[in-house]
Amino acid sequence: MTIDHSELLHAFRPEACLVTGALLVLGLDLAAGRGRPPERRAQNAALLGLLALAAALAASFAAAPAGPLAAGTMLLDPLARITRAGVLGLALLALAATPGTLRLPHAAEYVALLLFATAGFTLMAGTTSLLLGFVALELASIALYLLAGFDKARPESAEAALKYFLFGAVAAAFLLFGFSLLYGLTGALDLPGISRGLAAQPASPLLLVAVVMVLVGFGFKAAAAPFHLWAPDVYQGAPAPAAALIASAAKLAGLAFFLRLLGSGLSGSGADGEPAPWTGAVAMLAVLSLLVGNIAALGQGNVRRLLAYSAVAHAGVLLLGVLVSARAGPGPAVYYAVTYGLATVGAFIVLAVLDGEGGAQTPADLAGLHGRSPLLAGALAACLLSLAGIPPLAGFLGKFLLFAEALKAGGPTSLTGGIALLAIALSAVALYYYLVVLKEALVRGPTPGAPAIRVPAGAALSLLATVALLLVLGLLPDLLLQRF
Amino acid sequence: MHLPVQLTWLIPALPAVAAAVIAAVPARRPGLGAGLALAALAGSLILALLALAGALADPAARLIHTFTWFDLGHGAIRLGWLLDPLGTLLAVMVATVGLLIFTFSLGYLRDDPRAKQFFCFLSLFAGAMLGLLLANSLLLLFLCWELVGLASYLLIGFWFQRPAAARAARKAFITTRIGDLGLLLGLVWLQDATGTLLLFDGGRGVLETEALGALAGASTVGGLAVSTAIGLLLFCGAAGKSGQVPLHVWLPDAMEGPTPVSALIHAAPMVAAGVFLVARVYPLLAADLALASVPVHALTVVATVGAITALFGAAVAVAQDDIKRVLAFSTVSQLGYMMLAAGTGAWTAAIFHLLTHACFQALLFLSAGSVIHATHHEQDIRRLGGLRRRLPVTCATFTIGMMALAGVPFLFSGFWSKEAILHAAHGWSVSALPFHVALAAVALTAFYMTRLLAEVFAGAPRGHGAETAHESPAVMTIPLVLLAAASIGLGFLGTPWWPWLQSTLDPAFQPEPGGAGLMAVSIALVAAGILAGWSRYGRLPRTSPEAADPLARIVPRLHRALAARLGCDELYAATFGRLCTALAAATTALDRSVWDGCIRLLAQLGAYTGLVSRETDEDVLNSGFNAAGDGLRAGGRAYSRTQTGDAHGYVWMLAAGFVLVTLAVLLGGVR
Repeated sequence: MTIDHSELLHAFRPEACLVTGALLVLGLDLAAGRGRPPERRAQNAALLGLLALAAALAASFAAAPAGPLAAGTMLLDPLARITRAGVLGLALLALAATPGTLRLPHAAEYVALLLFATAGFTLMAGTTSLLLGFVALELASIALYLLAGFDKARPESAEAALKYFLFGAVAAAFLLFGFSLLYGLTGALDLPGISRGLAAQPASPLLLVAVVMVLVGFGFKAAAAPFHLWAPDVYQGAPAPAAALIASAAKLAGLAFFLRLLGSGLSGSGADGEPAPWTGAVAMLAVLSLLVGNIAALGQGNVRRLLAYSAVAHAGVLLLGVLVSARAGPGPAVYYAVTYGLATVGAFIVLAVLDGEGGAQTPADLAGLHGRSPLLAGALAACLLSLAGIPPLAGFLGKFLLFAEALKAGGPTSLTGGIALLAIALSAVALYYYLVVLKEALVRGPTPGAPAIRVPAGAALSLLATVALLLVLGLLPDLLLQRF
Repeated sequence: MHLPVQLTWLIPALPAVAAAVIAAVPARRPGLGAGLALAALAGSLILALLALAGALADPAARLIHTFTWFDLGHGAIRLGWLLDPLGTLLAVMVATVGLLIFTFSLGYLRDDPRAKQFFCFLSLFAGAMLGLLLANSLLLLFLCWELVGLASYLLIGFWFQRPAAARAARKAFITTRIGDLGLLLGLVWLQDATGTLLLFDGGRGVLETEALGALAGASTVGGLAVSTAIGLLLFCGAAGKSGQVPLHVWLPDAMEGPTPVSALIHAAPMVAAGVFLVARVYPLLAADLALASVPVHALTVVATVGAITALFGAAVAVAQDDIKRVLAFSTVSQLGYMMLAAGTGAWTAAIFHLLTHACFQALLFLSAGSVIHATHHEQDIRRLGGLRRRLPVTCATFTIGMMALAGVPFLFSGFWSKEAILHAAHGWSVSALPFHVALAAVALTAFYMTRLLAEVFAGAPRGHGAETAHESPAVMTIPLVLLAAASIGLGFLGTPWWPWLQSTLDPAFQPEPGGAGLMAVSIALVAAGILAGWSRYGRLPRTSPEAADPLARIVPRLHRALAARLGCDELYAATFGRLCTALAAATTALDRSVWDGCIRLLAQLGAYTGLVSRETDEDVLNSGFNAAGDGLRAGGRAYSRTQTGDAHGYVWMLAAGFVLVTLAVLLGGVR
């Protein structure tokens, strides 16, 4: 096995941009930042980080070799390329909103960690090897643990980081155990090899255990019930821009990684009509997530915890996307994850801006937002309505495509069709809790004496871009779907 | 230099984007918004002229560009643009008249604090209207059609503080919506019957031979051909938009909007949409002509409705006292003429009259606007009078517009287009009645326009406004002069000797010989109408606002009935209005008592379930595992968030979840 290094460099340009950018941010801050006011240092670091992300995004659009890369550990197929561009875009939006909303003493480290996490995401998007995949996952996860706990002045932030870390570490242990079982069963680390190895032997309970262990890791990444318990605490405690990244880009990258793992590695013998070994478990997680997420969100009195439970519910729909991807390809699921990520990033940016104005914990804290800042209120409305699936926003089409595929696969009496019907029914429930928040923001008058909110330029641009993307993707879904 | 058909979208997009931008610019910079609106429409005009040049280079070729809007699994929704002489000519007309009206509005609304919104709505209107004219898909046409309806609603109700304006806007919206319902049903049926809504699509469009043959061949309820039924449904939409009886009631009220809006809505663009639709789908309407056994042809209905509307509008206009209301009813009447022409097969004559009417009616409305502006918003002609000396320019332009509308021979455009329509009605083989009705309306038109001119400009001022009037600024009079020139010049595009317009629109057009006798009759009728009007109103001008109308002295009952607009509004209020109110009351009662209760019950159930779930999730499960770890916390505080205990619980839960899923998968045997 020989590795063509020039080809490799070519293919990994986005990751190279990110890592170089991260090191530059750290180095420049150390060398030139000393003695300067912290605001300036934060601004410079963020600017440099944005440049690195933008360069990586541009590089991710460049042509890439079609076949397997780096001794069969990477594959830059449409799924990988779209996911890569998607996580870079989401990270760009989250980082652009940071200056002015998050006041941190060590901004350069924050930006560098964010870039490292993003590099982990982009690697997860394209990997076809268990080993590289696990390393990429850990690269991203460890950076995210730190980001969640970065606001050291607030005990909630540290609590969130600790919980996230403990939960994540155990989930990673399960995942690693599952990987080693797979390796033991097949003797291969690359997905095509695992697929061949599994096809050559009879089904064993050990394989099922391995599959469930892999699903624990995925369930953790996607915040699917019953592996969702970390989500409410982390969403609530982490700094809002970091929570935005955890909720959006991490989910998208995880989805791509596990789609590939489950689709091309563990798809079963491939005989007609025989479902993949993970079908039952994934369906179970999907149903649990849909029920727990939607119904628990109803009783939430905190906006971020509400978003967390809504994330659990959306994870249920994503798992449905994993189920239908066997037949319909990854397109609908990735489209859904991208649009979900966009709307979540937007909502968290709004919360991030509000944090600078005394914070918004309960929906009642949002009262009269439309009077205090029309931009924030409008963006929040667009994002939450997209999450609820109201046309013409992209969230509607994401849901529509997935449900249509699920129902097409076997009609309403099949497994996927039944889950789709359940999800449709629960969408009505979901609309209720989104509207409770929006009612406060758009209908209620402001509390007397509440000052107008000044939205920092970066956050404003980021919000406008998010809303524009939600609209454009909702009206012209082919922009994304055609590329699969 | 021609406009490539792929770029057609730019023509409607420019004003539409301008509307969006204007909506975003700060309200304290109204000049910016107005400038943007003018610039965008001017850009559209230039592009439309280029498109027209391209379409005229080869009138028989249809430049089409279709694209897929979105894919629906079994069949894509396709939209498209079409450049042919009909659409591009009207687009140029709309852009030109629109530009003049925009300019006029600069002066008219100079002091209005909401001028910015006004230009935003105007731009939206222009964009939608241009899109409607250039669409190659009935679906795209319908989208633009509804946008036009929305924009006109906003514009008519622009002074929504005035209850009359708000009411008029609502009335216009609802009345046209009734017609639009027919249009929508027609479109759905058409889509179902042919599988497409594209007009022309290389042989597969709905206006092409194959589809038309299939539509005319099939029959439906009452022995109607499918093409007849669909055509009549489409005509419902056209009748609503173009104010045909019985859906005309909104049009006269729509003059509650600012006068430039009245010009925009009554004169050219908006009401033209209905006539344009009829001309556009003319092949569909005419598809059943070859069938002898059907109970009624679609075009017969169109011609009948047109003739009734022409006479109705002209008769009611005789007894109105509001300057804009007279003009509004004259619009109704002229639109009836156009429908009559289309119904008798001469849709090119309808478009010819549409063009000339656009110019002279815009001229009349803007002149009336100039009068109203000059007399501090006096619209009652009984209180005007004697303005010919005070407003010389307006008086001259108004007179030109009046002559064109009345059909004064040879020099004025209205004469030639009306002549073409009368010619077509005369040659119609089905019935001679519409022709006679149209002749009667010719005489009435000349009569009421003479009355209006005499009341406003002759005699002595009869009110404070008229006494202190002064001529409007140049930004308002220049559009008037330009429109006056067009009102004269446009007529020569379609004279019997050189029917350029007709043969361009319809390459198969053949001028029919003869018609000198007919022309003499109509000239005599116009002369009689003017003379009668002058002898009643001009020779002895009104002396005081309270003096009775001469007509009211001769035939008081008829005058009262006409002044009350023949009671259409009252009739509708007593029938449909009551019905709707009763239905609404019933629905409210049902909603309040039955549905609301159900919803409340469901909501209670939902809230209760949510509460239970939260308690289960956060208290029972979490604290349950806490208890398994370090015993139940004293007091059982709800879901405490102390750090170590919960984190233990989480990890326990993770492990339990794993065991649960594994057991379920193993025992369930899902492989």
